[in-house]
This record gives sequence, structure tokens and C-alpha cells, in this order.
Amino acid sequence: MIQDEQHPTESLILQLAIGLLFPFMLLFGFYIIANGHYTPGGGFQGGGILASLFIARYVIFPVEDIDSEKLHSLQRIFLAFILLVPLFFLFSGIITQFPLLRKPYLTIMDILIGIQVGFGLGVAVLRFAFFQGSGQTWHL
Amino acid sequence: MIDSFILMVMCLFALLAIQTRLLRNAIIHLAVVSLLAAFLYMRMAAPELAIAEAVIGSGLVTLLYLAALKRNRVYTIAIVGNGETSRLADRYMHHIERTNALHEIRQFFLVREYEVQVVFIPETLEQALRNEAYDLVIQEDDSGIVAYTDDESYVMMELEMLIQMRGAQSDLRFARYQQTGATLQLIDPSAG
Repeated sequence: MIQDEQHPTESLILQLAIGLLFPFMLLFGFYIIANGHYTPGGGFQGGGILASLFIARYVIFPVEDIDSEKLHSLQRIFLAFILLVPLFFLFSGIITQFPLLRKPYLTIMDILIGIQVGFGLGVAVLRFAFFQGSGQTWHL
Repeated sequence: MIDSFILMVMCLFALLAIQTRLLRNAIIHLAVVSLLAAFLYMRMAAPELAIAEAVIGSGLVTLLYLAALKRNRVYTIAIVGNGETSRLADRYMHHIERTNALHEIRQFFLVREYEVQVVFIPETLEQALRNEAYDLVIQEDDSGIVAYTDDESYVMMELEMLIQMRGAQSDLRFARYQQTGATLQLIDPSAG
């Protein structure tokens, strides 16, 4: 439990519960992303779970130490890849020549979309939490 | 059969969400509505949508609302026991909860849409006053209930003025204190 002047303390129940769930949420998000092409789920849903990790972290530890500018530019890079990968796979005709590549292609697209959505929603929420108002961090 | 039952429960929780006056309860009710919608999608053989609804509706949006509620300040009212009653914490707290004074204080915060939480603390009065997490400290003595407020808090001054204007229908008295550095000084303890 972190407890000093700069870090306002949250309740121990929240800290323990979210701390316990955190790795499972991470694992579940990547599971949904990785199995998106043949089970329900996929990039967007998994990305939503990854984004909720950012907010969960903010709820138990409201400190402004995530560089949201960096996250924003990372998210833009992934967005560029989302546009470039289909261009490479579909327009060059590789998919039709090698049907075995279909599954890897879908998985790659799911992972890219998942990380992009996760960073995008995470940045939106962190901006909302940190940068509106006076920039001061409130605690319960 | 199950579907219509779930739909009715959804309607119930949606109504509860707009009827409650505490914002946090409304957020949780909305999360329940979203979760039931996800279950309904599942029963209608749309698992993809169900996952999206569960993740976005009841996960992300709930957490976002809670983070937004955090920016809205929560006022903490601390109730301090007096000596011999501190062992009977539950009964003492119920006794205080039922008093007219606490009801009026709650109404004051509800009308202004501030979130308020009441805690019973085992600390002594001086420790409670020094702790900056408590906005209002309440202690019962022989003549009634005394509310200790910080001299610099405008909201508490407003509360004090409002309750004094209502007249003597509640047995609530106010005492202000001022904290400068390490010294704690009561200002005019017989106010009210």
C-alpha cells in the first residue's frame, strides 16, 4: 500500500481487489484478441478490456505519470499499420496465392486493432481524468 | 419467459438509476442494466455483441463515470464517540443517524448534489480535527450535538448559516476551529 504525501491513498479493498484482478484482465484481453477469428470477440472487444486496465489503474492510483502524448503517437502508429497491412496482404494478392496465410493475417489484424483501440480509449479516458479542469488530482 | 423477466428487471434498474439521488448508486444501476443487456444478447445468439456490451457498457463506461465522479468532491462527515460510548459503536452510530441534526446535514448536501459519506471513527476529537480527510466532525455531548467545522471552508459556513436560519428546531450547535501549523485553536466554541 503506497502511502505518502504525494500519493493520496485509496481504500485498501479497491487496491487489493483490482490488484488481484489486474493480470487476469490483461490475460483475458489478449486471449479475446488472439482468438478473435474463430470465437466471439476480436480486436475491438479485447481492446476495450485493455483500455479498462488504464482506468482501473487510475482508480486505485490516481497519479499523473503516464505520458499520454506518447500513448497517442503510439496509437497513431498502430492506426497506420492497420491501414498498411491490408494493403500489403490484399492488394498484392498474397492471400489468394497462399490460403494458409489467412489465419495469420486475421490474427495480425486483430492484434493491431486491439492495441490501437486499447491505447485510443485509454488515452481518451486519461485525458479526461487528468487534463480537464485545473489539472489537480482528486481522491475519494 | 426468461427474456421478458430480464427485460422487466432492466426497466426496474433503469428507473432506479434515475430515481436515486446519489450519483454513485445511479452509476452502479446503469452498470447492472448494461450487464443484463449483455446477457440478453447472449440469449439471442449474438455473443460478439454481448462481449462488446459487457466490456464497453458495464466496464469502461462505469469506470469512466466513476472517474468523473471522483472529480466531484466527496465530503466526509466523521462521528466521534465520547468516552464511554465508544465501545457501543454500532448502537451509538444508529442513535446519531436517527437524529434530526444529521438528517438536516444530509439534506443540505443532497440538495446541492454533493456526495457525502458518514463515517464513525474511533479516534479522539483532537485527532479527528487534525485529520484533513474529514470535512465535518460531529460529537455528541450533554447538551446536544456539536459540529466542528474548519474556519476556511465556505461550504461548511453555508451549512452553518442555513441551519442557524432554520432556528432552534434541531439540537445542533456549531464550533469553528482554525489550524495554523501545529496548533489547533477553537474559535468561539459557544456559537449557535
